Amino acid sequence: MKVSFILNGKPLTVDVAPGEYLVDTLRNNHVLSVKKACNESSCGACSVLVDDKVILSCSYLTQRVEGKKVLTVEGIQKEADELSDYFSDQGADQCGFCNTGLALTIHALRKELKNPTDEDIKNFVVANLCRCTGYQAQFLAIKNYLEAKK
Amino acid sequence: MEVAHYLKPKTLKEAYDALLQSPRNVLLAGGLWLKRSTPSVETLIDLDELGLDKIEDEGDYVKIGAMTTLRQLELDPLIKNLQEGLIVKAISQIVGVAFRNSATIGGSVAGRYSFSDILTPLLVLDAKLVFYPKEEMSLQDFLNLKGKLNSILTHIVIKKTRGLSFFKKVKITAIDFPILNVAISEENKKVKIAVGSRPAVSALAQRAAKLVNNASEITDAICKEASQIAVEELIFNSSVTASEEYRKLLAKTYIYRGLKEVLK
Repeated sequence: MKVSFILNGKPLTVDVAPGEYLVDTLRNNHVLSVKKACNESSCGACSVLVDDKVILSCSYLTQRVEGKKVLTVEGIQKEADELSDYFSDQGADQCGFCNTGLALTIHALRKELKNPTDEDIKNFVVANLCRCTGYQAQFLAIKNYLEAKK
Repeated sequence: MEVAHYLKPKTLKEAYDALLQSPRNVLLAGGLWLKRSTPSVETLIDLDELGLDKIEDEGDYVKIGAMTTLRQLELDPLIKNLQEGLIVKAISQIVGVAFRNSATIGGSVAGRYSFSDILTPLLVLDAKLVFYPKEEMSLQDFLNLKGKLNSILTHIVIKKTRGLSFFKKVKITAIDFPILNVAISEENKKVKIAVGSRPAVSALAQRAAKLVNNASEITDAICKEASQIAVEELIFNSSVTASEEYRKLLAKTYIYRGLKEVLK
């Protein structure tokens, strides 16, 4: 089945199986920044934005993106580079596997929440799991980044 | 999940006809639990384009389309004002924002999941369910039905109430399934109490509520007695996450605290 959508600003048409999930479609089309980890909508590594809303691409059927905009970290390159500086400042980077999903979630947070409290920030990123760093360094990095971007 | 055919109907009739064609045809709402629970389907019937994603103000009632996402509900002013934001208290603790941008209220209700954090508050809000082609029933009656659903849940209707409310989800990690959840609603000092994930599906503690609602004066002793009655009238069991005894202790403690809070 053919599905057409806008990937990071460029139109794309792909041929997919009826039950194919977006994470597989993206990875089959060389968008390897989208990680497939738990594959059961629990870890947040596969987060992407569909029509400006962050979703879990491991549980989102590709058929549903017909005519919609899909944003992966390649579409926010400059922002992600900048964010990574804040992460390294706090020593919040290790293997980097979860960073792409987290960067997209932070992108969504910035769009949705004006002047978020510490609690708001934590609630927004709570389901983006990281198995290396513990969360305090990440939290401080995100907080500093949001503060600088005000 | 193996899917032989995918169908995105434009009308409810089309979706319903497809559903009746084979017992292996399945409705798709948010699809989050479906993926984890269903190895294969014949035709996956996607309800995404039926316009069922609206929250409507119907005067004394709020009418919620079954495909409304949990995130939509969480941010909606009508829902925030309903019974002191009871639904928001419960929903905001379900996994993360990305999950709640896909998960729908209809999928959560129709699945009758025993671990649901949504059924428990909806029970104390006395939610009514509307099905296609033609059926209406209370959530409570629906939870007592057995077997596969052969109609399509289209709306959840809730009376606008402005009393106090309590919700407690006991969990091991922030984004975990509940070990147990408790919801209490109050209006004019009358309460409804529901307990979910016992680990069986949510149910009302009717005898406990009756004791409180018939009391001439609400005392600490009444709240204590009601919490004891609730754990006697509802069935609790052990599972990998918690023992029956622990669940009963949690239920008793949080029902007591919840009653004190909403009846203060």
